[in-house]
Amino acid sequence: MTLVALAAAIERGDLSPREAVEDALDRIERRDAAYNSFITVRAEEALAEADALPAKTGPLHGVPIGVKDVIDVAGTLTTAASKVLADNVATADATVVMRLRRAGAVIVGKLNTHEFAWGASTTSEAFGPARNPWDTERICGGSSGGSGAAVAAGLVPGALGTDTAGSVRIPAALCGVTGIRPTTGRVPNRGVIPVSWTYDTVGPLARTAEDCALLLDVIAGPDPTDPSTTPSMAEPCLDGIERGVDGLRVGVVSHLLDDVPLDPRVGTAVEEAIGELASLGATVERVDARFLRRAEVVQQLVMLPEAAEAHLPWLRTRLADYGADVRARLLAGLLLPSSAPVTGQRARRALAHEARPLFERYDVLAAPEMPIVAPRIGEDPVEVGGERIAYRLSLIPFNSPWSCLGVPTVSVPCGLVGGLPVGLALTGRRLGEATVLRVAHAFQQATDWHERRPPDAV
Amino acid sequence: MEPESSLVPSLDELRALARAQGVEPTDADLEGVLGFLRTVLPSLRELEEATQRDVPPAGMYLPDPEAT
Repeated sequence: MTLVALAAAIERGDLSPREAVEDALDRIERRDAAYNSFITVRAEEALAEADALPAKTGPLHGVPIGVKDVIDVAGTLTTAASKVLADNVATADATVVMRLRRAGAVIVGKLNTHEFAWGASTTSEAFGPARNPWDTERICGGSSGGSGAAVAAGLVPGALGTDTAGSVRIPAALCGVTGIRPTTGRVPNRGVIPVSWTYDTVGPLARTAEDCALLLDVIAGPDPTDPSTTPSMAEPCLDGIERGVDGLRVGVVSHLLDDVPLDPRVGTAVEEAIGELASLGATVERVDARFLRRAEVVQQLVMLPEAAEAHLPWLRTRLADYGADVRARLLAGLLLPSSAPVTGQRARRALAHEARPLFERYDVLAAPEMPIVAPRIGEDPVEVGGERIAYRLSLIPFNSPWSCLGVPTVSVPCGLVGGLPVGLALTGRRLGEATVLRVAHAFQQATDWHERRPPDAV
Repeated sequence: MEPESSLVPSLDELRALARAQGVEPTDADLEGVLGFLRTVLPSLRELEEATQRDVPPAGMYLPDPEAT
């Protein structure tokens, strides 16, 4: 059942919040040993909170939700899947959790993540890998891999992840669910462990674009206590999601289909999905945007020093407790020249200026979300269109441009290759979440890829 | 363009820089950093040369609110 359908069923009285939460906890208990998607399950707390809900709260009344384990839930561990924070109990709710609760949601647990949300495989040395429900020998992507797995397996109808360089979109694609990275600054980050202050954003993952729209409407908006939020008011996402794509202009980012390593079967699935948008009434054109490849290095120059700064107290005292990959990136950020983040931010502004005509001409840009389907756990390098490439490097061209520009991107399931999901990335203007979700919804109304389920999903 | 070797610091220089910030990486850690720097420093230098220095860096939280 989708999140929207579950919320409607609870509203009709078909089941109570307690029953909805009990169902989710039962699914987690029976199935999650296979996926390792949860780090902490809040069984007793969630049931008590469901029982304590007033008769009417908000649009998520009684809906069980999981949140990535870098997002604080008061009284619950926030481990970031790291030895460094293995005993860290949050003292207050993150703003997004407060907003979920105000809307009636019940937080059933904390979801597995790549250590400190910095990596794309969710294979924490301390907490073990999250496993892809489509094939448990494969990764879920990351860093919000537990969020992707839990939604794909049907353990929860919706989850929150975070996205710095693709961490919502990548697991959405590899797990066959829908996930949106919102505009940087649209969703408050207070109470969320940072990777990179100027790139981080919280984003929802769920079965459908409609589900994500509902979740995003709940968690988005300025927070006067959080200077990372933009004061700009954006259009709500759920209202108007049915308006279709007729008359919209879709630019196909051609270099991401033609000029970078890509599994041709993934490319074919994405091309067919774009063809579907054309058949629904969108005007589709290929666009040369190779200048966006500069984002790949620009993001590294900014993100690495920002992360090193955020981690500096722990680097001084807990260096050996980090996993090898995250430790290496943090040290690289620490030891980059001081000119790196300034040059990076300057180049980032220039890139945004250069991208402006793209977003004036097109309502949405379309591209593959990932160049490959989910690799096996531990498989690195990976084979991409006949080349052997480091997994992390293979995905950067598809994700860094949109992170660097701070614009919204949704990944929607658009095919299966060898029985594994493929994601279509739809990117919009700054604060244009309503439009990208509207296009994603139109696609999902016309196709059934989002309804395909992993073999043992519940 | 300067040769790559003149851009990349030595292991000892990196160790001293880390220690100055209160961090004690292992030699293996620093070898990894060196590998990364060999890749990224030439790109950084290219960007420095390609970017107009009178352009202010992007804002703290948004790349450029008016640009996209």
